[in-house]
Amino acid sequence: MDVSRRTFLAGAGATAGLLTVPSAFASPDMPAWQAGWANAPVAGFDPAPMRLITGRLPDDFRGSLYRNGPAWFRYGDEHIGHWFDGDGMVQRIAFEDGKAIHTGRFHQTEKHRAEQAAGRFLAAGFGTAGDPDFPVMSVDDVNAANTAILAANGEIYALWEAGSAIQFDPVSLATMGPKHWSDDLKGMPFLAHPKIEPSGRIWNIANSGQVLGIYDIAPGGKVDRFEIVDIGKTAYIHDWAMSERHLIILVQPWIQTRNLPPFVNSLEWRPEDGLQLLIIDKADLSSRRWVDAPAKAFFHTGTSWEEADGTLHIDACLYDEPILGEGGATGLMAGHFDPVADHHSGYLSRITVSPDGKTRIEQTGAEGEFPSVHPGFMGHNCRYTAVVGGHAPNRPIATTVTVFDWQTGKSDAFNFGPARMVEEHLIVPKPGRSAEGDAWVVGTVLNIRTGCSEVHIFEARDIASGPVASYSAAYSWPLGFHGAFVSS
Amino acid sequence: MTRTLTLLSAAAIVALSGAAQAETETSQLTVTLTGLNPQTGSVMVGVYAGEDDFENGGGIAGATVEVSGTEATVTIEGLTPGAYGLKMYHDVNGNGEMDTNPFGMPTEPYAFSNNAKGRFGPAKWDKAQFELAAGDNTHAIDFAS
Repeated sequence: MDVSRRTFLAGAGATAGLLTVPSAFASPDMPAWQAGWANAPVAGFDPAPMRLITGRLPDDFRGSLYRNGPAWFRYGDEHIGHWFDGDGMVQRIAFEDGKAIHTGRFHQTEKHRAEQAAGRFLAAGFGTAGDPDFPVMSVDDVNAANTAILAANGEIYALWEAGSAIQFDPVSLATMGPKHWSDDLKGMPFLAHPKIEPSGRIWNIANSGQVLGIYDIAPGGKVDRFEIVDIGKTAYIHDWAMSERHLIILVQPWIQTRNLPPFVNSLEWRPEDGLQLLIIDKADLSSRRWVDAPAKAFFHTGTSWEEADGTLHIDACLYDEPILGEGGATGLMAGHFDPVADHHSGYLSRITVSPDGKTRIEQTGAEGEFPSVHPGFMGHNCRYTAVVGGHAPNRPIATTVTVFDWQTGKSDAFNFGPARMVEEHLIVPKPGRSAEGDAWVVGTVLNIRTGCSEVHIFEARDIASGPVASYSAAYSWPLGFHGAFVSS
Repeated sequence: MTRTLTLLSAAAIVALSGAAQAETETSQLTVTLTGLNPQTGSVMVGVYAGEDDFENGGGIAGATVEVSGTEATVTIEGLTPGAYGLKMYHDVNGNGEMDTNPFGMPTEPYAFSNNAKGRFGPAKWDKAQFELAAGDNTHAIDFAS
């Protein structure tokens, strides 16, 4: 549904000139959308109240939205080699007593400190070759801590793909250092997409080459099991899936062909290999089986769940071929936008594996990325999945928030229009309520008309009516990837 | 999951130094270690003679020093003057091995001569090599660098 709400947009735009300060770091010769990839202030953003621009904060909406993303893209004229390699910054929006307070801080990683001191890029990354003389004694020397947030056991971490989780203080956002889940797992990668059971048990993957390590972390943080699995090839593994009884590794045919940084330049699309799924029994990690599906590329999954007869379903946003490959978004960082090359369409899809091992893929009409489900239903049959999608003609990134209803097959959507670049929106349960639909959908956008970042809160069962509350900062921060909401 | 830094036996070291002394003057190497953390266990130092030994070999001498503070000193005697490299690790838990995580990355502090650093692996010879003169030599390693 395309329902740009003229009154809402006009109202927000009209006040913009009076009440907002343009981002100090956006170059005047750059298009407005380029603020999404402009360096954030190195000192971060001190706590500052955001301005209510529409609606009213629900009384029981209390907690903090934490979001992580790359926030440093250039030294002088030198741009980083890929969007995924920018130094991570956490944004926190704390909602209390009808107020929304924004704070942002760079994670003080080894990479960030070394590069800021040198005034240039040093570390090798996903799409950055790096300085051959930059020492790398541990994966955490190149850890950008820029991808996702994990909140668990009263602690909070910034996650990346190939290094440790980096713990930070939930209020000051000060970096506390790499998390060692146990002494013998020091320096092990901890993927950006751990899966948390409703019980609080955390499952995650460590990936290096064709070898995976599987973390099984009990509520409270003790590692119950860590097991090595050889998947026989080095594929790009950003996310995976978990049902109540299984772990599902989706091995897409985007295969590493040589072992030289940057990683992305070594990836080759081999659709003839298909999408291979390794299904691992949670109760017995040595019990594994492979099934084959048609070739698809993906970054993110939603939930996964099994039926009584063993039929397994995996929800994911699937593409016909990889996006954000070699040179990913480097043009955008330099202010260049190509409406063909820079617009990608993935669709929320369901991969079904029958008990006999046959697979089929059902593509929904919900175009988008960053799938989010109710955390109380992760690993179970979720009725609702939130995604963001849609294209604007003159700038990159999504325009629309959609909640797809798997029961009715219908999308409930709100289109923010061309002025707002829409980031991940999370399904956030209402306190004291157990029904899946008793939730809000919460996320951030970058308003390129005002040059300010905003946060919006929707009723999960009525997205089309627009946000019930929206706040605007007086400045913008760079576009991020993933977040987590921590209720208080 | 452990990996043992290969060191020659004490008997072999004595034999080598004896042979060297017969032909020429010998060198004495004192290695000063700083930045040790935690203050437990010991540091195992391996001495490698020449590029081939450093990159592929098992070393020609070794020494161990107990750690009881942030600093320690270890002396290796009876070396022949020439080009050498050092590899060392801090055996924090005193199990006699350099512990690694399941992907083979060290989980105990390690260092190379010249405080050289590797890039996704050990330091290379050209960064770690140093010349040992006849007589007394000192070499400073900072584990916190």
